[in-house]
Amino acid sequence: MIDVGFRSFLHRITAPKFEPFVKNNQPLKMVFVINHELKMGKGKIAAQVGHAAVKATLQSGELRPELLDAWLSTGQKKVCVKAHDVRQLEQIEHQAKHHQILTSKIHDAGHTQIPAGSYTVLALGPDEEEKLDALTGELKLL
Amino acid sequence: MSALSDPPTMAFLCRADLKLSAGKLAVQCAHAAVASLQHAKKTHSRMVQRWKESASRKICLAVDDEEEIEYFLKLVQEASLPFALIKDAGLTEVVAGTVTVLGVGPAPRHTMDSLFGELKTYE
Repeated sequence: MIDVGFRSFLHRITAPKFEPFVKNNQPLKMVFVINHELKMGKGKIAAQVGHAAVKATLQSGELRPELLDAWLSTGQKKVCVKAHDVRQLEQIEHQAKHHQILTSKIHDAGHTQIPAGSYTVLALGPDEEEKLDALTGELKLL
Repeated sequence: MSALSDPPTMAFLCRADLKLSAGKLAVQCAHAAVASLQHAKKTHSRMVQRWKESASRKICLAVDDEEEIEYFLKLVQEASLPFALIKDAGLTEVVAGTVTVLGVGPAPRHTMDSLFGELKTYE
């Protein structure tokens, strides 16, 4: 207790403990659901998914840092699947929120290829593979 | 040059010779984006802040092969920009250890333009 300030000592005793993040070392992943009706080029999709990955990473760093750390240290698995249209994207987003999975959606600024404000990508996670598969398991890989 | 006309940019240099599927390419770029950002947070934190506050501009450029990626990697290192070289784990489309994407930045747009001006966007 000598080299620790009084307040941080108190904090250490009274602060709520982090929940253990994953039960039984479940594998984690991040899933990107692409809006396939937009007909974007490969490079465009890649940049949009880049946006989504950064947004999801930053968000999980604030809200679920224990998940982010575990995901980063286990090879940061990412998967890309496609949805038919905006309605399906919104449906998945709604379900994800219901199951308390982190979501980040990307709307394009519309400088190239597609109209401004188009809903291009939804990022889910990082979270346990099982939970994500329940939502996106039946979608096709891009 | 004003800050508005010079938005910080992140660039992904993708190997066109691998002919990756759209999903695979997107995931590789996402790896590059996250990794390069982690690197830049430590060394270029003010640039990262500006990049996040602006549109987080990202562009996807095509390079011919691994040699060309290595050539640009040298340029990037000389300019001491943050970068991430992505090697695939080889679980799906390519053999393990294949260099797929070089992520660079965020860095000022004019720096990117002077380095990669000759490259075409990835189609």
